[in-house]
Amino acid sequence: MEGTAVKKKPRTKANPAQKIKEAYIDFVLENGSKPVSIFKFVKELKVKEELFYDHFNSFDNVEKEIWSDMFESTIKAISAEEVYNEYSAREKLLAFFYTWIESLKSNRSFILQSIPKRMKPEITPYYLEHVRNGFKEWVADLLLEAKETEEVTTRPIISDRYDDAIWLQFLFILGFWVKDDSKSFEKTDAAIEKSVNLAFDLMGRGPLDAMVDFGKFLFQNR
Amino acid sequence: MKEQSKIPTSKVQRAAKFVKTGAKVGGNYVKHYAKKVVNPSLTKEGLHEDNARDIYNSLSELKGSALKVAQMMSMDKNMLPTAYQDKFSMAQYSAPPLSYPLVVKTFQQYFKESPSAIFDTFSKNAKNAASIGQVHEATQGDKKLAVKIQYPGVADSVKSDLKLVRPFAVRLMNLNEKDLDHYMEEVETKLLEETDYLLEVERSIEISEACSHIENLRFPKYYPQFSAGRVITMDWLDGKVLKEFIQTNPDQETRDKVGQAMWDFYDYQIHSLRQVHADPHPGNFIISDDGVLGVIDFGCVKVIPDEFYDPYFSLIRKDMLTAGPELDNTFKQLQFIYDSDSVEDKAYFSEVIKDMMGLLGQPFHQNEFDFGDDSYFQKIFEMGEVISESKKFRESEKARGARDGLYINRTYFGLYNILNELKARVRTTKPEWAARVAV
Repeated sequence: MEGTAVKKKPRTKANPAQKIKEAYIDFVLENGSKPVSIFKFVKELKVKEELFYDHFNSFDNVEKEIWSDMFESTIKAISAEEVYNEYSAREKLLAFFYTWIESLKSNRSFILQSIPKRMKPEITPYYLEHVRNGFKEWVADLLLEAKETEEVTTRPIISDRYDDAIWLQFLFILGFWVKDDSKSFEKTDAAIEKSVNLAFDLMGRGPLDAMVDFGKFLFQNR
Repeated sequence: MKEQSKIPTSKVQRAAKFVKTGAKVGGNYVKHYAKKVVNPSLTKEGLHEDNARDIYNSLSELKGSALKVAQMMSMDKNMLPTAYQDKFSMAQYSAPPLSYPLVVKTFQQYFKESPSAIFDTFSKNAKNAASIGQVHEATQGDKKLAVKIQYPGVADSVKSDLKLVRPFAVRLMNLNEKDLDHYMEEVETKLLEETDYLLEVERSIEISEACSHIENLRFPKYYPQFSAGRVITMDWLDGKVLKEFIQTNPDQETRDKVGQAMWDFYDYQIHSLRQVHADPHPGNFIISDDGVLGVIDFGCVKVIPDEFYDPYFSLIRKDMLTAGPELDNTFKQLQFIYDSDSVEDKAYFSEVIKDMMGLLGQPFHQNEFDFGDDSYFQKIFEMGEVISESKKFRESEKARGARDGLYINRTYFGLYNILNELKARVRTTKPEWAARVAV
């Protein structure tokens, strides 16, 4: 798995953006807080301030990029799995979450620093904005495929909001993992398995659809 | 196999499951007594069957140790009436599988590689459910392998599960609280050992090498390099499980051959190795087409301490059962009776246990024993009923029987039970010291 991709990439002069991101992570890890100012940060890094602004405009931006790097490497890692294409949509989502948590693991200390102790799952934190866009795009493809294979039923109004629901699940799993204290995060594994299964059971055709259908029939034929 | 959509895991969910079953079982009793008012000749058979169905249905939805307890209770025919027994032995065959991505994840956690990278082929769906995991089929070169994978978090849930089973077990098995504590500890350590797959591989290799000289017996080869805390890789054994084997209606000669291998295997483990494969569940044996017995799953191994072995197995000598003070002494060592018991109690318990040991020791009192003899087993069940209904046993302040006996009894009941289903005639070899005095 390419879980260590973000942290362990060789430092090359050719990629200053990468260098800044790594230095930022190091700084947060060592000092336990964000750098005070961009000026001070670049001075310690021994690069020119313009170079920083060429790639980012604020520290928030750096954080967003760090998270979206982790997301990209997750997508790359699951797509590289041979069996990935044979997976059902349910299994694809499961694979995503397992791999995602795995890639978070190598950056856990940094993540614990930046995620506040109490995460509100209904509000997307600023540093996840890029991840959300990428994730929603990926989920949209997944849902399209799932509708074709009838793993997910199309329902008026609500089926357009499925991607939002899955994003909430994403935040839930992240929050669960942050608080998980079990050995090698086995409880998070269980949380993923169960919540994804629940999500797909809800999105798939169920007794509720049959009830609505029957209700409609009665209403129209009385 | 249909993949189960949700497995109740949190303690609350599991508890809810048990409560539901408890309520149903209660309902069955009401139903039974209501029927009995109308029809006084009604026996308890119907009630037991109702109970078994409800209990089984809810246990099969629970993974992990609850299932294990179900299997264990299914073995102890003496504790459970026949109707329960049939239902429970199904537990082995119907546990639901977990998703493939989780399997991949488990592999990556231990080997840093996915199963498809390690093996030439790897089945996406589980081929079999084991009680705390599932089995996938893999190939490497021309070798067919079985890969057993354990569910995450099983070890964690053992303790909370046992707490849940506890009140349930008191009712179901008519045990008193004291007995239960006495045994629960033993069960807990054994269950925790079972979740340690590295230990299992170690023991499997040790025992299968030590028993390699026994005729008509085979073991899979284990691959420690592809095994880890929650993964075991071994050779795939082709053949039929016991039930399927019996359905093919094999001739008496084949039955005897399989039965004899089974007997020799246990005889050698208990009396020579002094550690035993304590899970003689029918699902753990695979019989090849030419009648060779394959043994899998060494998760549950009981080491027999000398201070238990000596008194306990001295009871299989027929002459021992008529020896007066010596027998008393042995019973005390085994905690069947205590010095503090009243004379009346002492006499009662000694008598019942003497009868029981005489009955269970019967195969040892002859050179050859026909396990197909159902009347013998009927006697054992009756004995079990008598003990479980006995007021004295239930109200006894002290636990009767050493805790080491729990798994040894289970092993023997399992063994007898399987031999009975096989209808095998077996030359009952005995340890040398017993052979000299016996018969």
